[in-house]
Amino acid sequence: MELETQPRSLGTGGGRRSILWKRFKKQKVLHLFVGLGMIYLLIFAYTPMFGILMAFKDYSISSGIKGIFTSDWVGLRYFDEFVHDYQFGKLVRNTLVLSLLKVIFAFPAPILLAIMLNEVKHMAFKRFVQTISYLPHFISWVVVVGVSYAFLSADVGVVNKALMAMGFTDEPLAFLTSPNYFWGLAVGSAVWKEMGWWTIIFLAAISGISPSQYEAAEIDGAGRLARIRYITLPGMKGTIVVVLVLTIGSILGGGLVGSNFEQAYLLGNSINNPTSEIVQTYAFRVGLSDGRFSYAAAIDLIQSVISVALIFSSNYIAKRVSGSSLF
Amino acid sequence: MNKSRSFKIVAAALSMAVVLSACGGNGGNTGQPAPSGSPDAAAGGNAPAKPGQVKELSLFIDASWYPVTEWKGPVADMITEKTGVKLKVTVATDDKQLPLMIASGDLPDLVFTSSNIDRLSDSKLSYSWNELIEKYAPDFKIDKTRIAIHTMDDGKFYTVRNSFATQEEMKNSKYSLGSDGNPGIAVREDILKELGNPPIKTLDDFVKVLGMVKEKYPEMVPLIMDKDWIEQYFLAQFGTETLLDGWYEQDGKVEYAIRQPKMLDFFKFMNSLYRNGYILAENFALANDQIDDQYATGGKAFAHSHTVSTADTDNIKIKSNQGNFSFKMLPSVLSKDAKVVSSGLGFSGTFITKKNKDPEASIKFLQYLASDEGKKLTMFGVEGVHWTWNEEGHPDFKYNPSDADFVNSNGIKWWYLYNDGVTEGMLSYVPELQKTQALMELKAVRIYKPELGLIQTQPDSQEKTIKTKIDEMVKNEKVKIYLAESEEAAVAAYENMLKNAENIGLQKLTDWANATYQKKKELFK
Repeated sequence: MELETQPRSLGTGGGRRSILWKRFKKQKVLHLFVGLGMIYLLIFAYTPMFGILMAFKDYSISSGIKGIFTSDWVGLRYFDEFVHDYQFGKLVRNTLVLSLLKVIFAFPAPILLAIMLNEVKHMAFKRFVQTISYLPHFISWVVVVGVSYAFLSADVGVVNKALMAMGFTDEPLAFLTSPNYFWGLAVGSAVWKEMGWWTIIFLAAISGISPSQYEAAEIDGAGRLARIRYITLPGMKGTIVVVLVLTIGSILGGGLVGSNFEQAYLLGNSINNPTSEIVQTYAFRVGLSDGRFSYAAAIDLIQSVISVALIFSSNYIAKRVSGSSLF
Repeated sequence: MNKSRSFKIVAAALSMAVVLSACGGNGGNTGQPAPSGSPDAAAGGNAPAKPGQVKELSLFIDASWYPVTEWKGPVADMITEKTGVKLKVTVATDDKQLPLMIASGDLPDLVFTSSNIDRLSDSKLSYSWNELIEKYAPDFKIDKTRIAIHTMDDGKFYTVRNSFATQEEMKNSKYSLGSDGNPGIAVREDILKELGNPPIKTLDDFVKVLGMVKEKYPEMVPLIMDKDWIEQYFLAQFGTETLLDGWYEQDGKVEYAIRQPKMLDFFKFMNSLYRNGYILAENFALANDQIDDQYATGGKAFAHSHTVSTADTDNIKIKSNQGNFSFKMLPSVLSKDAKVVSSGLGFSGTFITKKNKDPEASIKFLQYLASDEGKKLTMFGVEGVHWTWNEEGHPDFKYNPSDADFVNSNGIKWWYLYNDGVTEGMLSYVPELQKTQALMELKAVRIYKPELGLIQTQPDSQEKTIKTKIDEMVKNEKVKIYLAESEEAAVAAYENMLKNAENIGLQKLTDWANATYQKKKELFK
């Protein structure tokens, strides 16, 4: 931004500057919005980044914030330690599998729901479904997990009682305490909680498609499925790509439905630990419980680097394949 | 006209805001340090406080299960009367809260903790007691052993744990039995009777009875365990001399718990309980310590593993729910190998943080709690109201110390920010209670080795990192052993756990522990 406000040459400088200034004044409200956003990012996203330093230092919490700068350099010791941790393989696998499953199942779900809702002609029913499906977004994970105990517990859970009463199973299924169910549980509950919310953005994209296209297609004899395939989906393409790039950028946090950490932390226990412990919960445990901030910072930094690499590569691929991209 | 009117409104609003904020300021000021106590108060710290002189100190209790959450009730009132200090209490929501507070520097005046003693024993975070005692309470005398136990590498001590007694002290006090914090298993009396009162004299007998229960009452859980009291009782029966995260000593050398040869027998035993369906897999994932109580008092479990007071507390609850059954304690000793080694250094200690607004009042407050009067007041209640002193050398209680509701609502015991194991042990001497019997049996097989407890890793040290990693690993891996599908699988999981520990650095840790042990042993000579 600064570059553009610099006069290119002395000769035309005065004129350009006044034009820019005029334009700036005209857009001052917009600039105010952008400015606030940038100040926010500067304070809460960029400034705390100096803490990354501690990943390379022998930092102890008792030395305070100053200690981040004054403690001794240890190079990549903590990175090395994490890579050689006996849980490293398990943690990376769990993080990747959980994240990928969420992209595979949670990303298409709101698109499908949006398309289906768009085909519903009964307005009251459409609104009803939409409201019901996005309300769970506002419930916190702590509450969702609490409720899930009432539903899914092997001993008192309603679901198990129902399954047994209907004769599907003789033994109650250990949904909450078996490593075999954790991924399904996490992905399922995330889809349930966030699907409706993301449907809103896709419905908005659909509503931007001109009705005349549908009318023309109908006249040409296109059926419902053909209209979805040749009009609705291409009309949503830009939105889909942008959301997909965003999803991949935050994939290690759970993608568009997020919440990898909350789920692993709240639904995880010592029995399903083999599938529920992920890099973030591990970093949280060693960082806060054991007070090893340097080590935790190193672990998270590795994850951040992977995320940045993912967002750049997915953006590049999106640009090449579909022509639309985030930046 | 219009303008001046709106100006008036704004002015009125502004002046109101000023007045309000001034009130807020005053309110905040009440928390400020009052002028320090009169010279009388300094002499022993137990001169009655004059009205209006009560100081409020904030206290953080690092135990989310803590039963008292507010400074109220007759005991708290009496302590305030004697010391002129009242406490504003915050109880931790989880075990991460205190580490987070330390990290952010947001500490209260006092912190009461057991798991963060190492970390808070740091001159940057807390005042050392040496310094405060010398300056403000020169007549606060603490015995050498306790000081030795708590002295850090910098030569200072920052707290003294409660619930600690030396072997000598316990031997000299016949009526001090030990605290509730000892493992015990209670079983359903009525069901035992229906089964024909089979004798339970050994661990095998107990397992057999569990089998009978499983067969005859398939709806029932044969054994339910409190999430924090799963292993202790059985470890004692196998004579492992240590819990899973401690050290044991053999022929003058120390080794880590999981390497103890009897540990494998213990794990096989636990695994067999699971494979036979005597315990629930869910038991290892219980989210809180109430669920097991609900099983037991709701009539859904035959045996309940918790502490020595389990039968007494369960029975009180059952009675108040109008249940028609009762629990009785299993013997504390069910095997000839049974052994309990007490390497404990106590439970929790109080820290006077660097953010403390009145260190003088704080140390004097603790001095009062440490006096004979203070210890008895905290532990037994108000003399004359709750207890009278028996010439034999123990209190006669006017209430049932196992009645958790009464104890908690009156604030008895839990304000033991400074106390000792001898006084606390007397709370268990109630001849008619089951727990008294259980504790007497335990006292007979208990050996004291506090020098083992002194093998403590220092904060931020390499050993601490290794130990934390091993403990964390054991926490995850032990469940795999318990829940293994066959004995072979259990043994394999156990061996895998040992291998993991070795990879993390168990040998290095053990070498360090032996060196420390040799040094610390001298303290007790």
